[in-house]
Amino acid sequence: MHVIRLFVVVCVASVLSAAAAAAQTATPKPPTPKVSTATKEKAAEQNANPDALVLADFQKRIDAYMAIHKGASKDAPPRKETNNPAEIKAAQDALGAKIRTARATAKQGDIMTPEIQNKFRRVMYPVVTSPAPQGTAGREVKKDIKEELKENTEERKEEGGKPVVLKVNATYPNDTPLPTTPPQLLMNLPKLPEQLEYRIIGKNLIIRDVEANIIVDFVPNAIQ
Amino acid sequence: MRRSLLFVLMLLVLAVSALVAQDLTLPMKNGSVKFAVIGDTGTGDKHQLAVAKQLAATRARFPFGFVIMVGDNIYGGNSARDYDRKFAIPYKPLLDDDIKFYAALGNHDDPSERYYKPFNMNGERYYTFKPADGVRFFALDSNYMDGKQLKWLDDQLATSGSEWKIAFFHHPPYSSGETHGSNETLRTQLEPRFVKAGVNVVLTGHEHFYERIKPQKGIAYFITGSSAKLRESNITQTELTAKGFDSGYTFMIVEIVGNDLYYQAITDTGKTVDSGRVQRVGKVEPTPNRTAQPVVATAGSDKKTPSKPVR
Repeated sequence: MHVIRLFVVVCVASVLSAAAAAAQTATPKPPTPKVSTATKEKAAEQNANPDALVLADFQKRIDAYMAIHKGASKDAPPRKETNNPAEIKAAQDALGAKIRTARATAKQGDIMTPEIQNKFRRVMYPVVTSPAPQGTAGREVKKDIKEELKENTEERKEEGGKPVVLKVNATYPNDTPLPTTPPQLLMNLPKLPEQLEYRIIGKNLIIRDVEANIIVDFVPNAIQ
Repeated sequence: MRRSLLFVLMLLVLAVSALVAQDLTLPMKNGSVKFAVIGDTGTGDKHQLAVAKQLAATRARFPFGFVIMVGDNIYGGNSARDYDRKFAIPYKPLLDDDIKFYAALGNHDDPSERYYKPFNMNGERYYTFKPADGVRFFALDSNYMDGKQLKWLDDQLATSGSEWKIAFFHHPPYSSGETHGSNETLRTQLEPRFVKAGVNVVLTGHEHFYERIKPQKGIAYFITGSSAKLRESNITQTELTAKGFDSGYTFMIVEIVGNDLYYQAITDTGKTVDSGRVQRVGKVEPTPNRTAQPVVATAGSDKKTPSKPVR
């Protein structure tokens, strides 16, 4: 009788510890699609894929931003090759200031709306969690991102650089390394105009205006 | 008066000793393509100045026509003073002699550096140039390898008829560095393209040491990221290293003579730490169907000098 009891206790303990270990190493669940009722209705009306409408909405918002960017560029000093680096910085700062004025009330989510954020997380999830995503040598993109974050943080501290402030219209600190954006992510994310780029800051994805050096919008916890 | 004379004499002795310390073994032929490679330079500190001084002293004997910068050209701030302190002042003797610098962007570089004329980037994050017939360079932005850049690279490689194709960018696809190591993600994007198009040599930085990688798929890879910053004892023992040097600041000088590319890695004190030759075998045609390239790298001394044991 005692032997049976002991056997049962050992079995239960083993199952529990195995479950705990599995939970620790388990890959986080993929994000569930979250599409607004309005988009769903529109999709039904147009017989369209709701995700396609979400991406079209993203494109529309990027186009609207670019209209502001182009408008601001007209009044800012031209971007041209120069021997005088002060002119480069002045042009960048002037453009940034004009865009900030034009988007004074802009806030997180204006471009990356909740359903666009959800779509981005869903697009990024398989790329960053797959043990051997397409175009890698069997190495997790997530590992690369984590390692680079660690390296960049160390280097930034060594050089006394400022941490990136995740805020719309904030300047990307000049003395902080720019993290590399994994090519696999770039292949899967919607294309941006050449004035804009994606960068991974910790677990977050930012859209950065390269010419104005400002954060246009961001997806918090984009890396699941 | 005596003091001034003594000071001048001391300066002369220092200058002569710097020259004597160098042991240049390149062919140094008239009409060859000669250039230097520096990486991770933009600190503005004494180490950058020491390497820059040695670079200028080297040019007195090896008259290279241009300098390749493999990224991290301006660390930290990017004010006009930063550009002066971290580039224009250290390399003034070379700039005054109209030596051209061709820069690639590193992860510490603001992409707006591409508008700085002395970097010769023509306002582009990635670009190509041909310093002489038969030799073409491809500068890439390894921070942001998007579809547009890859398409551009494919097009440029396909139309380049040059025998020597040399790519340069910041992140090393192969590295024995403990801090960074090989950038496998980038490698999977670039290497097949390089092999297909017949790229012969890849110059990179990022790791703050010098490493010559054993030829990979017919391509010679070099890391020169210690032209101002140094991570001592950072090279781990791997099967990749043909030659590693992580105990001093370095730059490279390179000479192309016909089918041979001669290289030499030199420290800020003028000591040669590596030298050898990359041989290009056969004529490379821009054939889209070619799957392997006829390039063999041969080394002067294939001695391993890893600092760290195998991990």
